[in-house]
Amino acid sequence: MEDAWAGARGTPSATGTLVWPDPKEAAPKIREWHFPGKARSRYKAGLAVWASPAAAVVDGRPMAFVGGYGQTMYAMDLAEKKIRWSWITNGEIASGPAVGWVGEEQAVFWGSADRTLYAHFASTGARLWERELVRPTGSMSGAEISSPLLYADRLYVTCFAYDRALARNEQKGWLFALDKRTGGVLWKLEVSRGPLGSPAGRTIGGRFIAFVATRDGLLQAFDLSAGGPRRLWSFQMPHEVLGSPAIEEGTETPLLFLGSKFGSLIAIDALSGRERWRRMAGNWIDNGACVGEIHGERVVFVGSHDYCLYAFRSADGELIWRRRLGGEVYSAPSFLHLPDRPAVAVAALDNHVYVLDARDGNIISAYYTGSPIWDKVSKGDTVWGSPVALEALAQSALIHGSFNNTVYVIPLVGECSLRALTRSQTSLWYGMGAVAAIFFGVLLPVILRLPARRGAA
Amino acid sequence: MLNPLFSGLEEILEKVSSNLKLVDKGLGSLEGGYVELFTILALGLLAVIPVVAPRPRRQLYRHLNQIFGIVIFIFVVFTCMGVFGMIRNFQRGLGEIGRDNRMALYYCSVPATILAASMIFGPSFCGWICPTGALQEFTGMLVRPWHKRRKRAGYPFSPAILALTVLIAAVFLVWMAYLSATRVFFVEDASIYWSETLILLLVVLAWRMGRWDMRLRRLRILSFAVVAAASFAGLRITSPVHFGFSKVYDPASILATAMVVLAAVAVPNVWCRYLCPWREAIAWAAKHSVRSLSTDPGKCIHCGKCAESCGVDAVADGKIDAHECHLCMKCVDECPTGAISVVDEWRPKP
Repeated sequence: MEDAWAGARGTPSATGTLVWPDPKEAAPKIREWHFPGKARSRYKAGLAVWASPAAAVVDGRPMAFVGGYGQTMYAMDLAEKKIRWSWITNGEIASGPAVGWVGEEQAVFWGSADRTLYAHFASTGARLWERELVRPTGSMSGAEISSPLLYADRLYVTCFAYDRALARNEQKGWLFALDKRTGGVLWKLEVSRGPLGSPAGRTIGGRFIAFVATRDGLLQAFDLSAGGPRRLWSFQMPHEVLGSPAIEEGTETPLLFLGSKFGSLIAIDALSGRERWRRMAGNWIDNGACVGEIHGERVVFVGSHDYCLYAFRSADGELIWRRRLGGEVYSAPSFLHLPDRPAVAVAALDNHVYVLDARDGNIISAYYTGSPIWDKVSKGDTVWGSPVALEALAQSALIHGSFNNTVYVIPLVGECSLRALTRSQTSLWYGMGAVAAIFFGVLLPVILRLPARRGAA
Repeated sequence: MLNPLFSGLEEILEKVSSNLKLVDKGLGSLEGGYVELFTILALGLLAVIPVVAPRPRRQLYRHLNQIFGIVIFIFVVFTCMGVFGMIRNFQRGLGEIGRDNRMALYYCSVPATILAASMIFGPSFCGWICPTGALQEFTGMLVRPWHKRRKRAGYPFSPAILALTVLIAAVFLVWMAYLSATRVFFVEDASIYWSETLILLLVVLAWRMGRWDMRLRRLRILSFAVVAAASFAGLRITSPVHFGFSKVYDPASILATAMVVLAAVAVPNVWCRYLCPWREAIAWAAKHSVRSLSTDPGKCIHCGKCAESCGVDAVADGKIDAHECHLCMKCVDECPTGAISVVDEWRPKP
């Protein structure tokens, strides 16, 4: 059985979308839900209040799994609007979980800053295993553990730990392979001396290849089909990289796409590691891209801090459309099919989640998801949570852990109170007409009838 | 035809907005509360300068202070010092007291310092620091002789003021037409309604400014009430110059700022006179301040120079309207007989 959410953004193409698996049976009704965080921790500017969620269908019910700075992983039953279970760890959860099969049951896998990887059964929350990836020392800060990548009976995850002691000062980033059933470490490979992103991977030509990008911009490909890892190639990106690669699906010669804080999105041949094309945005790209398919043509979507969401043709990088939004686009896009059209969803620093028509970039809806919990925005240092989508016809929904400490479940078809009070062009002018009428009809006559203030010059 | 012009302008504004906070990284590396303490310190220093600035060349020091205020608060300070944002932040900060005191300090630091400084030193924030007021004043300098002639004549209706009003209204409508066709507007962009009201006010003022000037200033109370009510309702409305504090391209705020600056060509300090909600709060806070202006009737020769120099018509024939005074001290400096002086109740009596 295929894992429901096998990596950071669900699929190799990083669509961030769970497609309702049973086309014959409709998904249960999904209502709007604002789930508040209960963390009492002191927040730091820019931190990931919520990591990206993972979505899965568990026991026939649509569920989302999300953790964050509150150190707790929550299993949200989207149809019942209730928390089915939660699990407190000893550190912040900065990366999204993965959901996959272990025998006949589904399990949720996630890492915490307490240097530990957790595996719990998705339906009950019962503990499957816990594995401490790095031995603690008195001078070690918390570890940065990425979203796991699931393939067959294995789990791959990256981990960065920083020991500050003068005697054994070291900063190391590893790629770990674990047994999905037992949590036993099969091997670990040191791949960087700095933080690194979540691994992405897919089977190409019968080999499972994983791609890992380090914060300092080194993208590496590993063949994991044999027992241990075999480095295939590496590619130096022009600047820091915070996101994970998105890989084309449905082809045996896929491209992968990765953006950098230099502002460039680069398409790289996944087998050879050669650059195929590169396009510049107007500012940082500090999260992942995603690949969707529209009318048989693959399209890459990526957001930038220049306020724009871009759609490029994946084959040659031709710009299909560019849409300016109200703030820096900090999230990775989600690609889904609404009942009437393909759509793409992103979150921007103007505190809105936007849903756009994937064909032409027109804004379908914007949802207000609250202002940051921190006192000021420190952007570009942390990968903040991105929205994920449930594609289920009339029950399609977005799940977004916002930086205001609330996880929002947003129905995409029908009414939603979060829908931003945007004005159409007509209503804007009507509103201005009303202001003029009130000014001349009410305000001016009333103010001019009031007696003069005493002491006026 | 205008589309490429506006697109190009918008591109430039976006780039400027995203790179506005020049010391972003430098301050970002400071630990939490230091930035707020730095803000309070900077504001305190700016508030003290009106007290210590020597009378010779005092207006030069004042303009330097205003420029410094713009530089500090637009390029450095993160918290919103827009006139709407301060009301909103103050309300939010008060709610955080006891729950998260550092956040309370962050949100209350600027408005509380301004109110406290106004209670002690008088309304010198308006005359010496406020970036919105400074922008209007610097714009008004370009047409100061024309403003003086209009004031002497009692602000009569004239083809020139009508033509200027129509021109400003046209700029507003064309800009709005472009924005409404290219962007999505949100509730927080409601500052466009303040811009519209400003344009409507210009129409009224072109016609009857001489008679209705003081009465129309009550609109400030309404402006304050609307912003405060929106704040309690959880609605965020951005004000002119807000774009300078936010690092986010804010077309409605930029449009509102442009309208305030243009309108100040027609009527000096038009925003401060009729629509600034914070001006009303400062006037209240400064009601019993230690420092105020006083006129010695025995020395006054009724030359009218004080009234001519005042940008907000807060003084006439030597009589000072404390509710409208910005404590810029232009009248003190212009008075040939020294009839107007600064009264400092804390200064030791000789």
